[in-house]
Amino acid sequence: MSSGQNSGGLMSSAGLVRYFDAEDRNAIRIDPKTVVAFGLLFGILVLILGFAF
Amino acid sequence: MGWKETAEPVLTRMPSVERPEGHVPFKRKLAWTAGILVMYFFLTNITMFGLATGGAGGDFYGRFRSILAGSSGSILQLGIGPIVTASIVLQLLGGADLLGLDTDDPRDQVLYQGLQKLLVVVMICLTGLPMVFAGNYLPVNSQLASQLGIGVFGLKTVLFAQMFVGAVLILFMDEVISKWGVGSGIGLFIIAGVSQQLVAGLFAVPALGTQVTGFFPAWYGIITGGIQLDPFIQSLLFDPGNILALFTTVLIFSIVVYTESVRVEIPLSHARVKGARGRFPVKLIYASVLPMILVRALQANIQFLGQILNNYVNLPAFIGVYSQGQPVSGLFYYLAPIQSRADWMWFSGAFTVSAEPWQIIIRVLVDLTFMIIGGAIFAVFWVETTGMGPESTAQQIQNSGMQIPGFRKNPQVIEKVMERYIPQVTVIGGALVGALAVLANMLGTLGGVSGTGLLLTVSITYKLYEEIAEEQLMEMHPMMRQMFGSD
Repeated sequence: MSSGQNSGGLMSSAGLVRYFDAEDRNAIRIDPKTVVAFGLLFGILVLILGFAF
Repeated sequence: MGWKETAEPVLTRMPSVERPEGHVPFKRKLAWTAGILVMYFFLTNITMFGLATGGAGGDFYGRFRSILAGSSGSILQLGIGPIVTASIVLQLLGGADLLGLDTDDPRDQVLYQGLQKLLVVVMICLTGLPMVFAGNYLPVNSQLASQLGIGVFGLKTVLFAQMFVGAVLILFMDEVISKWGVGSGIGLFIIAGVSQQLVAGLFAVPALGTQVTGFFPAWYGIITGGIQLDPFIQSLLFDPGNILALFTTVLIFSIVVYTESVRVEIPLSHARVKGARGRFPVKLIYASVLPMILVRALQANIQFLGQILNNYVNLPAFIGVYSQGQPVSGLFYYLAPIQSRADWMWFSGAFTVSAEPWQIIIRVLVDLTFMIIGGAIFAVFWVETTGMGPESTAQQIQNSGMQIPGFRKNPQVIEKVMERYIPQVTVIGGALVGALAVLANMLGTLGGVSGTGLLLTVSITYKLYEEIAEEQLMEMHPMMRQMFGSD
């Protein structure tokens, strides 16, 4: 598709945040696994802090 | 073109989740979606470190919680609030064409994405800081503060830091789902919260330690004689019979599912392939229910403003009089949306309503006007900014090689035809959805789900179903993938 819409040619059911195909070479890329790992570690950290004090 | 060049170095460097290379199998997409959902529930159950025991002094979001997701006192305290607020700003700027960004141009797309993220971060600070530092919504554990030796202010900072990380996490979780999963994360989080409430409203058994009695256990009690219906009509309609709530819930479900199929179909035929015909549907709820969340969030933000102002200055009576953190008269009372039956049914005798009937009528009218006009305006902006407007759809049809039979094959001509339908349908649809949301709130729903929450859930689920069906089609017929071009 020439227009960089995220859900192809069909009418997009876009969420509130729109993501396009275009990306800048400078941008910092994050692996989705990193997001999940960080979220879980952060949650566990807060839990441990809560128990420790 | 000043601001673009100035902001470019910042906006292009905003971190983003990697895009998958090539096709992601449907099963893996489902796995990502489910994984993020589990993580979301996990995070909503973690109480912020440093919060005074006994938790937050009442939910700051109050009844807006069901559309803003997250959970009070948890590290996801802010939910999708900042994302929604940032989106309002973007919609208004984009709709009024003040940004000067062309979303077909790759460079502008990058800027748009960056701006989106930056605005969310700004909104996290704008909503989070007053929540922690103003008033007493999130009281900190002062004993813990002295034990750690950082003082109350220090601990409040720690509290805010957790909220900040949580809110940023939600933003990235949404991005992971949008790129690697099915549907959008925000939609998923809203459905998750509302469904939870809805299931509780249907099945919750007080013996298991729940605070509400679900619809089915209540009726089991009524039939076996454990619960008395006294006075008969009133308790049949409201608690514990809840016939009215059941009626509203089912009504909203059917209206949304029905209106999803109400559409104006514009016939299309292929310019070269004789016999290849298609239709372009302009749905009644063309802009979907999503813009509604923006109107509600606007109301929510007005209410936050009122609460924060009330904490700092002595408001004059005509602006707002507060009792126990709720506006009881003045401007902020009239601007507060009707959230439940107890807000307006002064005549039924089932609720203690403190306001005068004329005050309530004004408030209902203000809410209706706000939602209907707001719904229509945001629907129009939504259509413009998401590329569903006459101009962009005409271009899409043109690019696909189709044309409207009987008209010249020319984007301007298609646009003229589209202009006859899309704006009108959008405005009517937006206004209809707004009125429906107010109606659902006034009549009450099972599990106390807000009308907007229910509307959003039904239509997001419907969209999700369509999307899954489309995914499966592509999975089974790899040729289709090329046609839809989502490889």
